Amino acid sequence: MNLDKYLPLTETTYYILIALIEPGHGYYIMQKVEELSSGKVRIAAGTMYGAIDNLLKQGLIQSVPGEDKRRKVYQISKEGRKVLELEISRLRNLVKIADNNELKGAN
Amino acid sequence: MDGSRNIKKYKFFFLDIQKEEKWILSIIRQGYRLASVRTGTGRYDFVPCHFMDFEPVIKIDFRTFRKSDEFENYIALFEDSGWNHVSGTKTGGAQYFEKARATASEDIFSDKASRAERYKRIANMWLGLFCVYLPLSAVFSKNGLYNFNTFINWKELYLTPGLWEMTGIRFWRAFLFETPFAFGRGFSGFLFFLIVIFYVFFGIKALYWYYKEKK
Repeated sequence: MNLDKYLPLTETTYYILIALIEPGHGYYIMQKVEELSSGKVRIAAGTMYGAIDNLLKQGLIQSVPGEDKRRKVYQISKEGRKVLELEISRLRNLVKIADNNELKGAN
Repeated sequence: MDGSRNIKKYKFFFLDIQKEEKWILSIIRQGYRLASVRTGTGRYDFVPCHFMDFEPVIKIDFRTFRKSDEFENYIALFEDSGWNHVSGTKTGGAQYFEKARATASEDIFSDKASRAERYKRIANMWLGLFCVYLPLSAVFSKNGLYNFNTFINWKELYLTPGLWEMTGIRFWRAFLFETPFAFGRGFSGFLFFLIVIFYVFFGIKALYWYYKEKK
């Protein structure tokens, strides 16, 4: 499977994949993303549900058994991890390019 | 309206979700809460609302579900984040949510793309219906259900013997009695075709909204 087609990830997708390294339900993801981004990224319920739906279809996350009957629990899949790793190395590379050039220490 | 009695209103919005949300809000601001919506008949029920320290905004999503537990999971996510499901069924599509906590987000969508996706799902529904009914209407056409001559020779749709020779009250009684049947005989095919055209019209209109909102 060609995982490059998922790159670059949107900010929302990136945060959701990071949050789902630990399994959790939809609302857990919303809270986790807010915490990870120090309150900067707040995903609303409708947007969150759509994002989960898309990620499930793409196979980047999967549904795992949970205790609560009403709330489904999700976790990042093998492919999801690979995509996340690809994205992180892409971002590292971009930052490195900036560091090797004039921008180093600009701020 | 003095905000002390239940009220019901009938209105159709034909896909304009923003207009619908604004209209609901305009009623809510007169001291009501939305109790239920029946999309089939365009009926909205409102109940008086008191003692709330914030405005109980209504936001509309559009989604259908195959399984009940997925529908429950969807509703639970909204409830957890402070939005109560007011109206909407598993397969009906339109889902109405009421803000239930002062600290809940302003909207049920936090970006433009996902807000626009609603219209894509609506378009998929109508265009799906169109794709199902189009072959059927082609079969009808082959069987001669759309015979444009019926518009000219409409008298032939009446089968009562000697109808056109009758006079006075006798004629009108027989004529009016048979009219619904004659109409069904001659134009049910066209009516069906009209419905199929409506499906594609709604589908295209929803797609138009989708691209407009996505921008």
